Amino acid sequence: MVRLLVIWVDALVLEAPDGSTWRDYLTLFEALELLCPFTEPVRLGLFALPVRAPSRFFGGEDAVLKVVGQTVRDVTGHEARLGVADGLFCAERAARQGVVVAPGQSEAFRRAQPLSTLGRSDLATTGRRLGLHTVGSFADLSSARVLERFDARIVVLHRVARGELGELAGQRDARMGERLARVRGDVRGTDVQQGFFGQRGANDERAAAAAHRIRRRLGASEVCVGALRAGRAPEDRAVLVPWGSPESPPDRGAPWPGRLRAPVPATTFAHPVAIELRDAEDRSVRVGARGLLSAAPVSLLFSARTRREVTWYAGPWLTLERWWSAPRRRAHLQVVLASGEALLAVAESSRWWLVGLYD
Amino acid sequence: MFAFSSNRPALPPELAARLRPVALANSRRVPLGEPWGALVPGGGLRRGSTVLVQARAGWGGLSLALSLLTGASARGHWSGVVGVEDPGVVAMADLGLDLRRVLFVPRPYGAWAESAADLLDGVDLLVVRPPARVAHAAARRLSDRARERGVVLIVLGEPDAAWPLAGELSFNVTRAQWSTSSRLDARYLTVRIEGRGETRSAEHIVMLPDRRGRAAAS
Repeated sequence: MVRLLVIWVDALVLEAPDGSTWRDYLTLFEALELLCPFTEPVRLGLFALPVRAPSRFFGGEDAVLKVVGQTVRDVTGHEARLGVADGLFCAERAARQGVVVAPGQSEAFRRAQPLSTLGRSDLATTGRRLGLHTVGSFADLSSARVLERFDARIVVLHRVARGELGELAGQRDARMGERLARVRGDVRGTDVQQGFFGQRGANDERAAAAAHRIRRRLGASEVCVGALRAGRAPEDRAVLVPWGSPESPPDRGAPWPGRLRAPVPATTFAHPVAIELRDAEDRSVRVGARGLLSAAPVSLLFSARTRREVTWYAGPWLTLERWWSAPRRRAHLQVVLASGEALLAVAESSRWWLVGLYD
Repeated sequence: MFAFSSNRPALPPELAARLRPVALANSRRVPLGEPWGALVPGGGLRRGSTVLVQARAGWGGLSLALSLLTGASARGHWSGVVGVEDPGVVAMADLGLDLRRVLFVPRPYGAWAESAADLLDGVDLLVVRPPARVAHAAARRLSDRARERGVVLIVLGEPDAAWPLAGELSFNVTRAQWSTSSRLDARYLTVRIEGRGETRSAEHIVMLPDRRGRAAAS
């Protein structure tokens, strides 16, 4: 989990009717962005930034806290509450209390929080009756017991309590980017997708009507259009966005060294499937530090224990991305099975995933 | 009325032959992209017809069905894809589809036939990957509706889980072979194209996808 610095400005939490809160928030956001380009507007009154890189730059976390506190004071005239911990949930709790949790102590800090901080009063009441007063005592329940008694949202909270998830579901305001863009006077981000040159013909209207009907039948996110993003691997570049959602910034065609070249798989899984690759002596095939395979793969195992014979493979192609903040090291491998099917597999953190099917 | 009046001179026969309304039949066809235009009789798919695409899993059935959309997509027609859960958007862009005019219903759950029927009102071509078994009545209803709306219904399936009705045109992938170098280069598909009525069945070999991810004649 990423170590975050959360900035809590009390005076900017409640929205003033004249819009001054949003303008102040935007000014402060732009100032903080100059300090650290990864600053994120979480919701009104709250910012988060990964603390590792700026603390290297400014010379320690204390220096960052001092600079950030001074910036908030200079820009808004209010005092900010600052907190540092792992994950957004812990970091926000730390900010409300104004503490810096030492590295490695976030677990204990989270467990000591009262159960009501998870944001569900019914859970807090039930927990009190059961003698569970802290997040830690709730986390000690087994997942199966929680799943028996509570609904799906509480199961997610349980994962937060156990430290498997870093943040609560409603902690970020999903519309933040759009609303800040509106304050900036930049309304391009809210356009609905249009045809060529913004024209809409009769057949576009017909298609829109049909899409509306399916949305009513199945739900708003069940009719999609495809969009291309920038990136290297096909599974990063391809996204299905719900029909009628704001147009995402298009792929500008900038060069991406190391991009996987055509042909790309006709099926790319939104949720990769875990697989295993074995060599001739039935050992797992690994990608070494230099990006070479430990041995040639001979068979491929799906999670259902079905073994398929590998007749040909190519790669691995190693990509090392975002090494400056959240490093991601992957190796892609093209595999052809004895049945003639071709697959795209990827190795990440010493596991193999099936990401695409050349169907 | 004027054409039959007696004081009007008769048209020369070679001109009369050219004046017959040949354009009408052509406009009833949805154009196909490369390489299918040269392989399919008439160079297009007849509006209101049902086209079957059958291939074993992993033999390029999805790529083939999507490549049938490219010609129409390039001319601004809308198309729909129902029941293909994780479409490779990059591969579709490489094939030459205009992504802004393709509607996906990736997970229609039990309502695939209803979703397909809804989409038939709005698109010119519709690719459907139905669940394993399709009732005869549901298939009949859907293809009747496609005929009534003038939409090309492309049904994607595996040979053993066949669509219960015969299509006007069917593409069967009988063989798939990858050509490789230091990576996957191109796939050669042997496709048997069969039509009802005037068209005879013929086997063709196409590259799908080729080195640039497009469909091409080999």
